[in-house]
Amino acid sequence: MAEMVRKSSADEILNHWILAVSCILLIITGFAFLFQMESVGSVFGGFNTMKTVHNWGGVIFSLSLLYSMRHYLKDAFEYDADDRQWFKVAGGYLSKNVKVPPMGKYNPGQKLYYLAILLAGIAISLSGFGIWLMKENATVMLLSHLVHNVAFIIFVIAVPVHIYLSTLANPGTFRIMVSGTLPLETAKKKYPKWMKAAGKM
Amino acid sequence: MANNNSKNRKAILVTPEVCIGCRGCQTACKSWNQLPGISTKNNGTFQNPPDLASAAFNIIRYNEVPSQKNDVRWLFVSRRCMHCEDAGCMTICPAPGALYRTEEGAVAFDRDKCVACKLCVTACPFDVPRYDAEGKVTKCHLCFDRIGAGMEPACVKTCPTGALRFGDRDELIGAARKDGFTTIYGEEDLGGLGSIYAFKEEPKLYGMKENPAIPSSVIFWHTYLKPLSVIGLGGVVAAAAIHYLAVGPHKDEEEEV
Repeated sequence: MAEMVRKSSADEILNHWILAVSCILLIITGFAFLFQMESVGSVFGGFNTMKTVHNWGGVIFSLSLLYSMRHYLKDAFEYDADDRQWFKVAGGYLSKNVKVPPMGKYNPGQKLYYLAILLAGIAISLSGFGIWLMKENATVMLLSHLVHNVAFIIFVIAVPVHIYLSTLANPGTFRIMVSGTLPLETAKKKYPKWMKAAGKM
Repeated sequence: MANNNSKNRKAILVTPEVCIGCRGCQTACKSWNQLPGISTKNNGTFQNPPDLASAAFNIIRYNEVPSQKNDVRWLFVSRRCMHCEDAGCMTICPAPGALYRTEEGAVAFDRDKCVACKLCVTACPFDVPRYDAEGKVTKCHLCFDRIGAGMEPACVKTCPTGALRFGDRDELIGAARKDGFTTIYGEEDLGGLGSIYAFKEEPKLYGMKENPAIPSSVIFWHTYLKPLSVIGLGGVVAAAAIHYLAVGPHKDEEEEV
């Protein structure tokens, strides 16, 4: 059996899936509120129950989001010359005839995605708590309602991109969020700088 | 949320000039809707309760407006839900059926469907909806249960002077014009209100809100953000499908350089 390297810890994988499931649940119930979708509401036994699910799902999501910082925040702020070159060739996603520079553990697209989700996530959480808990303050309510919906649009655009890139667009990537490991040979090709830093090549 | 049978649209015409401030309308409303009394304090005015409440769907505002000609001038105005054609409360409400339009054009509510989010309160240009002790929306519903059975709203039925009149909206406006009322407040505002007011003087004098409007953030949200959420989601899913077909997935072998 080929030698494997661990890219994600069990802690990180669990964190990721709690975040993912709560996020998708919030997006589905969010759309149901936005467009008064009675069919979705009836799945939850009515809009009152769905509101409870949405609110407490939001609590789980916000806590998981804050916890995820320990896994990704440091990397998300570090960019080098190869990362800049990565943007010039669009990560090799638009053409197969370009040379993609060697990458570290995460490519800059992933790092920026994390920062976007973190910022939009903090915005959507705070505004969500505003709508939930500060009903007597009309300014807070209106501002929160606006911020909540702007951040929602960032999520409905960013999340499907993330799902596509981590499944269909990059076969073999998904298993990292299941087992946390990938074959050493693949890791050397995909993350040469990380493997060098780890002394594996 | 356009009212498609505007020909049948009913309205309450308030003529403050003939209101004597008897508050029969407040009492009749409480009686019909079985609303409890509210314990209040004397705060130097006959206006009581001081504002709309979950147990007060309508009130008479007692405006003291002294002028040089008349140093004791009391203007009485019935305040209640305006039943806007373009209703901010209905636009922002996330719960289907919690706020709904009746056949007569009134904005009514269903307590059981309300999810107690209070967004309608923030979107109302007239600060009308109130929440009861159980956190459910309440407000004037134009006695939809009475008018649906061919009766007048309770407040109109009891009004002794004709300061409150109920009927076909267009006819009421025409009649008020004929009687010499130059300003019909709410004729055009927010797509036309279902509570309209006949004045010979400036509505502002009676404490009517000038240029009432739904908060601009709510209009922006409704006009742009709501469609954008669907276009955004559909757009990226389509883009991913096109990318998969046109460029295809990443293959490790190709990275050998």
